[in-house]
Amino acid sequence: MVGLEIEERDEVVIARLTGELDIAEATFTGEAIAAAVSTARLGLVVDCSKLEFIDSSGIAMLFSLARRLASRRQSMRVAADPEGPVARVLEIVEFERAAPVVAEPEAAITDIQSPPA
Amino acid sequence: MPLRELPELFDDSVKARSLAYLYVAGATLAALTVALPHPERVNETALLLLALAALVIGAIFYLRADRTREWQLHAAVAVGTSLVALANHYVGPGLLYALLFSWTALYAFYFFDIRLALAHLALVGALYGVVLADQGQSVVHWVLAVGTPAVAGLAVSRLLESLRRQAAKAQARALALRESEQRTRLVLDSAPDGFLAIDEQGTVTAWNGAAERLFGWSGEEAVGRRLRDLVFTEAERPAHDERRQSLLDRPDPARIVSVEVELRRRDGSVFPAEASMSSVRTGDEIVISAFIRDLTERHRRREEREALLGEQAARAEAERIAEMLSGMQLLVDATLVHRSIGDMLSELVTRIRGVLQADAATIFLADEAQLQLSASSGGPPEEPPDPIPFGEGFAGRVALTREAMVSHDAATDLEDPSLAGLGVDSLIGIPLLAEGEVTGVLVVCAAAPRSFSGQDIGLLRLAADRVALAIDHARVYEREHRIAETLQRSLLPDRLPHLPGLAVAARYLPAASEAEVGGDWYDVMAIPGGRVAVVMGDVAGKGLEAASMVGRLRSALRAYALEGHDPATALDQLNRLAWTEEAASQMATLLYAIFDPADGVLRWVNAGHMPPLLVTEEAPRFLQGARSVPLGVLPFPGFEEVSSPVPPGGTVVLFTDGLVERAGTSIDAGLAALAGAVVGARVEPEALCDHLLRTLVPDAGAPDDVALLALRSVPMEDRFRDEFPAEPESLASMRGLLRRWLRHAGADDQQVAEIVTAAGEAATNAVEHAGAEGDTPFEITGRVAGSSVLLTVRDSGEWRAPRGEDRGRGLSLMRALMDSVEVEPGPRGTRVTLRRDLASVGSGGDQLG
Repeated sequence: MVGLEIEERDEVVIARLTGELDIAEATFTGEAIAAAVSTARLGLVVDCSKLEFIDSSGIAMLFSLARRLASRRQSMRVAADPEGPVARVLEIVEFERAAPVVAEPEAAITDIQSPPA
Repeated sequence: MPLRELPELFDDSVKARSLAYLYVAGATLAALTVALPHPERVNETALLLLALAALVIGAIFYLRADRTREWQLHAAVAVGTSLVALANHYVGPGLLYALLFSWTALYAFYFFDIRLALAHLALVGALYGVVLADQGQSVVHWVLAVGTPAVAGLAVSRLLESLRRQAAKAQARALALRESEQRTRLVLDSAPDGFLAIDEQGTVTAWNGAAERLFGWSGEEAVGRRLRDLVFTEAERPAHDERRQSLLDRPDPARIVSVEVELRRRDGSVFPAEASMSSVRTGDEIVISAFIRDLTERHRRREEREALLGEQAARAEAERIAEMLSGMQLLVDATLVHRSIGDMLSELVTRIRGVLQADAATIFLADEAQLQLSASSGGPPEEPPDPIPFGEGFAGRVALTREAMVSHDAATDLEDPSLAGLGVDSLIGIPLLAEGEVTGVLVVCAAAPRSFSGQDIGLLRLAADRVALAIDHARVYEREHRIAETLQRSLLPDRLPHLPGLAVAARYLPAASEAEVGGDWYDVMAIPGGRVAVVMGDVAGKGLEAASMVGRLRSALRAYALEGHDPATALDQLNRLAWTEEAASQMATLLYAIFDPADGVLRWVNAGHMPPLLVTEEAPRFLQGARSVPLGVLPFPGFEEVSSPVPPGGTVVLFTDGLVERAGTSIDAGLAALAGAVVGARVEPEALCDHLLRTLVPDAGAPDDVALLALRSVPMEDRFRDEFPAEPESLASMRGLLRRWLRHAGADDQQVAEIVTAAGEAATNAVEHAGAEGDTPFEITGRVAGSSVLLTVRDSGEWRAPRGEDRGRGLSLMRALMDSVEVEPGPRGTRVTLRRDLASVGSGGDQLG
């Protein structure tokens, strides 16, 4: 059972995930997040720092989001606790190739708002 | 009569005093002899000394006469005799002294029995013989001196004896008389009737115990008072005076006058009595005696008998009607509720038949313009006939016209197939009407020619009204009961969910006597995170209303639970539902608990419900915390959550009060009985539930509904095996169970997370590729081999190569996280074996491939 909380701050959409994300809800969750990010927004931060579990379906959902945003020229960051199980899985599947993984969600927001020149 | 038994004429004090007089007389004689002219030879000094001695002895005896003993008397007589003998010696010969001797001796004859008297006489004779011999007197003197008192003494003795005999007889007679009087008094005292006697002046002289009880006056109080004032009312006094005078005029014990009079008790109350009086002359007095008998009881009985006789005739008819009415009323009232319509109707017709003394009675129930025979008494028990349309046959005509009908010619009226073969002669048919609708027809038949009276019809019409009402009630009740029962059944889970690592069993036992369904309910839900929510509740009230309330609470709580609300929040929301539901809130007690098998913690909220019982290897204990008011009592009760660890193997028992409440004992006693019953019982929930119901519920059934639920945290073992439905929702519980087992197997947090991720991928594959049916379960087994854990996930589906850009990472993940991964596809399913060495540091060796 996953928890999803959407916040918008200064043109950035923040999606906070809690609980456990598996195949039961991955597709639904991904669609809900995608729907919250309109094309007018700068980008998306998927905050997984409070997510306790993620499986390959969840990872697939994140890859799909990253692709969709990239195609719209929007930025995406994933925040995950480097010591937690989610970061470990992201590392194994080399998610960094799709979108940057950062430790702190706040840093990710700032990162999107002020893109490197 | 032997002499010694005769009464003594004189007592010892009289004897002592007379002896004292004799001494004084002797002393006086001696003094006189000295004082008067006397012969020279008289020794004056000796005589005066003897007189003095006699005077002293006489005085002593006189003064202590009352204390004299018999031997002292004998001694005194002997001493006196000696003194006289001495005096004779000093005086010289003379007749005077001889006589004195005689009197001394006579005293002995007066007072002592004859042998003692003769002994004294012998002493006198001896001493006198000495004196006479001394003085040289002749033997004639001696014979005279001794013989005279002997003869006189014997004569006196005889005389005294006869006197004593007479006295003894008189005494015996007096004694006998006294005894006889006492007997008479006893007899009178114990007589059941009052006895009293009055003298000529009308003063009470006798008053026995029964009279005391009758009038309230004790014997002491009554005796001496005038009877007229004591027991007679003003009105009765002249008659009493007249009767008394007549008895006094003609005293005759054989003439008994009996009268019935009103007499007055001490407290002023008056009672009817029978007085039997007679008068008798005793001496110069006339005594009137009377026996008094209280007639109150006899009068009452007579009055009752008269009243009874007087009423009997009038009552015979009234009674018959009253009996009929009350018979019907009793029947209808008793059957208004809690019985099936069929049972009720059978009893009704039996009773109606009895009350009307008819040969058969039948009730048809109406159903859409057709009559169906529903119950009959007295007729042949036949197959239920086809329905009769309104208007056909006798009963059909009654239904159509809605009028009572009487037929005395059943031969022509009886086209009715249902009444055929009864040998019926006369019939009454009454329509059963409820709220203007024909609900049925009541038919009463007599086999012999009989004219049913207008009264019979009136009575039957009265009964029919009640019967119709009862049928109506019963139908409504039955419908409601059926709905409530169905509703309640649908509200209890018919199958408990499969909960990995947990065993759960539940029982619902309806009350034995109560026909209405109760508001007890329970629920078990698998909720996110591999946790389980259990609910035990009791809605106040019964029947449809309670059942629908259960429905509302259950649906709402399921929603809150699945939303992931913690117990306190869920109950707050539930209370809002119960509280605002209606103006008069419906009250419900509820225990809501969430158990997480992963950490073995039970968290619960108790809204006024029985505390759960925790059964572990230690003594069972009730989880008392978190108690607050029931739902629907306060708008904001503020529920509080409490948690308690449930060790592996521990069981939590939830129940409703029906399990522990028994009439005559306290709840505490019931709870103690429950705690006692689990000790030593088998811990498997199914067995435990059976055991508790068997132990705690009386054989006759529970007085109230009982709901019972046992949830056991199955202890982990080194090997584990579990099955899960092949659906995505299973994965969370599978992970929960696996985490628990891995911790048991010794994995650290990171290892647990990684192994769970890998196993989750294997399981996801199993879910995604499940067999065609889709609902075949997948199986996961785990075991420890050396320092490694081995997990096998087996499904019945076909292994498919991952397709698509974002798919296929599962296998990579598994390989990255495990030390080895083996996928064995087969015709009947796929087996994935995962191995992870817990001793090695970090992740497995394989990298992404």
